[in-house]
Amino acid sequence: MIARLTPREALTSPWLTVRVQIALGIFFVVAALPKLVDPPSFAHMIYNYRLVPGAFVNFFALVMPWFELLLGLALILGIWTRTSAALVGALLLFFIAAISLNLARGNAIDCGCFDVSAANRTVEERLTDMRLVVLRDVGMLAMVAQILWAKGRAGAAAPVTS
Amino acid sequence: MNVRRHLLEAATLVSAAVLCALVANALASRERKLALVGSYPNAVTVPASPTTDADPKPIPVATAPTQLPIEEKRPGPTPPAAPKAGASPVGSEAKSPSSPADLTRRFPPHNKPYVEISGDDAAWLFARGMLVLDARRTKDFEAGHIAGSRSFPVWESDIDARVTALVGEGRDGAIPVVLYCSGGDCEDSHMLAQKLYGGGFNNLLVYRDGWPDWQKRGGRSATGPES
Repeated sequence: MIARLTPREALTSPWLTVRVQIALGIFFVVAALPKLVDPPSFAHMIYNYRLVPGAFVNFFALVMPWFELLLGLALILGIWTRTSAALVGALLLFFIAAISLNLARGNAIDCGCFDVSAANRTVEERLTDMRLVVLRDVGMLAMVAQILWAKGRAGAAAPVTS
Repeated sequence: MNVRRHLLEAATLVSAAVLCALVANALASRERKLALVGSYPNAVTVPASPTTDADPKPIPVATAPTQLPIEEKRPGPTPPAAPKAGASPVGSEAKSPSSPADLTRRFPPHNKPYVEISGDDAAWLFARGMLVLDARRTKDFEAGHIAGSRSFPVWESDIDARVTALVGEGRDGAIPVVLYCSGGDCEDSHMLAQKLYGGGFNNLLVYRDGWPDWQKRGGRSATGPES
């Protein structure tokens, strides 16, 4: 006998939340790996965004992949889930802002999200890809919202939470 | 409220990421290592116009605002055109020495970090044995480079040491030096020129279309590490 859930109960069910957590975590782990393997290429990608002052480009390129990896692992393993999800959300907002700003000023770049090798593409292809990346990041933000919402409800229901 | 706990968790994650990054960088090989503090003067300057087309259209010479483009000034030798079947490739002929006066007459010192040159100019300079510097990553250099060029990968951690060593060789800063990278929107050779300009080089010529153009011309090339 299957209990009928309300939409709110379905969207915040532990069954869904665990799967969203794992999916989002895998996204971040997969995104981190190529950057960890080749930090100079990732530094070049960050430079291409023309947002980070030159002195900080390398530091950013070194730390960001490890941050993504740790957040991804935390989500997959269910450790500090709310904090990790909130930080992933903050990172996604930062990525969306960075790409949107470059779209607005017509600076066609490779996003460097899952691949740090420069793709041999036209300006138009790069701009199209940047728009798709913004949409993808908004979708991932929705996943973050689901986790935080579900964890918030669980926390309200049971005072002791993970 | 668990705000304090969440902040502590966030701080722990950030600290762990910084620590892992520092340790990994310390243990990384030369090609994967980064200097902790970068030195990229144009890091927040958006390029004037996007030139990222994949099909290599001819790109206009973009710099040298105070002088005519070098191509227009020179009577010069007929450069090799695009390679045809059976045509002798660029640089296959014996290198023809030129006096420093000849070189600086055709490519005068310009008191700018760099001037962009065409493939024809690069071939002419190559044929006269000018110093050629490759600004691409080491792995790209080893996969193929202009014969006799030296590797100066601007995105690798030892670039400043390489630049210092080159400056220490005591070369005449007025003699042309050719720099190249991957053509298109690649700026690595421009970045390298800015570093060398600070070291007293005053005649840095960026081969705008770079390695892809050299290959297309059938220029003399080599693979493997710097010889």
